[in-house]
Amino acid sequence: MTAAAPPQSSPSWRKGIIAYLMVAPPLLLMILLIFIPALQSTARTLTIDVNGEPGFSISRYTAFFQDPISVSNLFFTFQVTLITLAAIFILCFPLAIYLRFATGKLAGAVQVLALFPLFVPGIILAYALIRFLGTRGTLDNVLSIVGFTGYRTPYLKPDAIIFGLVWESIPFTVLVLTAGLRQISDSLIESARDVGANSWQIFWRIILPQIARPVLIVFSLNFLGIFGSYTIPYLLGPAAPQMMGVFMQQTFGQYRRPDDAETQAVITFIICAFIGFLYVRTVATQRKREESE
Amino acid sequence: MKLRLILLVVCIALLGALSVSAQDRTPIYVYTDSDTNISDFWTNTIIPAFEAEFPQYEVILTIVRGVGGGNADIANRALAAMTTGDDPQVDFFETMNTDAQQEWVDAELFLAVTEEMVPNLANVIPATNRLPQEMPYRGSQVLLAYNSDNVAAEDVPTTYAGLLEWIKNNPGQFVYNRPDKGGSGAAMVTRAIFEVTGQDPSKFVPGESDEALIAEFSKAWELLGSVHDSIYENGAYPAGNTPVLELLANGSVSMITAWSDQGLQAYNLGVLPETTRFAQLQDLPFTGGYAFSAIPSNSTNQEGALALANFLLSAEMQQAIVETIGGFPSVSWEMLPAELQSQYTSVITDTVPTWPGGAYGAAMVEGWYNNVATNIDPSS
Repeated sequence: MTAAAPPQSSPSWRKGIIAYLMVAPPLLLMILLIFIPALQSTARTLTIDVNGEPGFSISRYTAFFQDPISVSNLFFTFQVTLITLAAIFILCFPLAIYLRFATGKLAGAVQVLALFPLFVPGIILAYALIRFLGTRGTLDNVLSIVGFTGYRTPYLKPDAIIFGLVWESIPFTVLVLTAGLRQISDSLIESARDVGANSWQIFWRIILPQIARPVLIVFSLNFLGIFGSYTIPYLLGPAAPQMMGVFMQQTFGQYRRPDDAETQAVITFIICAFIGFLYVRTVATQRKREESE
Repeated sequence: MKLRLILLVVCIALLGALSVSAQDRTPIYVYTDSDTNISDFWTNTIIPAFEAEFPQYEVILTIVRGVGGGNADIANRALAAMTTGDDPQVDFFETMNTDAQQEWVDAELFLAVTEEMVPNLANVIPATNRLPQEMPYRGSQVLLAYNSDNVAAEDVPTTYAGLLEWIKNNPGQFVYNRPDKGGSGAAMVTRAIFEVTGQDPSKFVPGESDEALIAEFSKAWELLGSVHDSIYENGAYPAGNTPVLELLANGSVSMITAWSDQGLQAYNLGVLPETTRFAQLQDLPFTGGYAFSAIPSNSTNQEGALALANFLLSAEMQQAIVETIGGFPSVSWEMLPAELQSQYTSVITDTVPTWPGGAYGAAMVEGWYNNVATNIDPSS
């Protein structure tokens, strides 16, 4: 605030207008480019042509759920997403805890390594993984030098998708979890240790409840990214079953059935919107709590 | 001061001399939107050879690859110039689909070329199926590529049935890519369709969609499904031409389908091992296609453009297409040196089936995904 306009002399409605003006451009962009097209799409998938008049029908959705290939692709997408999420947590939790409590050069190096995937584009990663995981690839060669010859490549199988997606998600997950862990004060943990809590108890009763929110954020944002992923499943995954992103593109571009692709998109959108709602609620309750504190 | 004045005069005189010498040579404006291997081929091989033979012309190549609509945009510019009577500033399109837009056809934007205008057109093989406005000058066809260390020459299949048999007898040693992700895999699938519809590609007319013919595709799925488990990694299909070449290069598989130009160029560059050999099916070859050049009818240097077109179809340039870019000639192989013929004897064919795409393409891709790539029955 400048001296010319002291806060008390400016009426509150004017402040409100300025605030609204500032949020208007992104809000308009969201409404025009995301909400309205999404609503239009949803409406279109629910209408059929009845003697030239639009009528309500869920026939496109029943067709989707009656088609075993569509259903298997949706199920496959859920499967890959959930397994990938589990793997991300198993891998990133110890990493984040290590980075929170460790100091020194080694920790710095680990941090750089953990963030490295952030700077590698997905398509480069996919080709690197083909070289690394493929038959006669780096891993295969190293294993055969050690004397292990029974290597079966995950390339073009679901495992390769999970491998690629986990690798891609590490930096973001570690960043958010480490940030959450940093909010837990050292004194809290020290005092718990003073009263005789062991490491497991400290993790389970002190750390975990404190970082429930970052965990939920990591879960929901990673879920959205993985559920709608395209490049990695397209280049590393099998021809069938397919993840929804690849399936949609295929239905639209190759099978030339834009209507079905739209239905697939709306179903994917609804699932993601539900997870997005979880995320928004988490952030909103946090803000409310911070305000009340 | 005097010195500067002299220098200035010299400079002006030099510039004048240069521009005069440039004016002596009539420019031929060539546009291309093809891949780097093709534009490099023009810059390093075609243009120097042409200018040496026709010193009166200067070829100015403009590469519009990846810029908007590529050559189609330049064609539309030429169409606009035609309406206003201006110079289109283009004399030759390296590749052009002359009937891609109805306005082009209606306005007769492209010159119909005859053998009187381009004598070498007489040598072009009928399999290229050219429109009067089109001059096919290079082709590419899908071939079998194999590692001769693992496959003896006499065991290389010569028919499609033989190929399927070979795949079954050598599980895990063959791979092709998904039909929508690259033409080399698509050729494997379309060949199965040709196989079950009487080995007659002429049944498939572009722009049509014959339901009865599409209904017969199911027999092709049975054929391809019968070898599904014997494909690399029990039925793993890569997502592109290049990943398939890579699997052959690193020895994961012994035989693949590959585009002739991609395969031969990879071989010449040493990306594919020296033991790589190429073969073509003898009963009905895999699909292929040609690149067609075209001349806008309002070109201001039509004479030069026609000379260039004729030069491209000369035996010398057709040989360079085979040797430099691994392409196929659009003239009969008999026009080329005997030595080159014997080198390519296993892949030479004057039959180049084409796949129409369109509705047939959509049915082909969807049918393959739903019946070959997966074991889920879509009608269950």
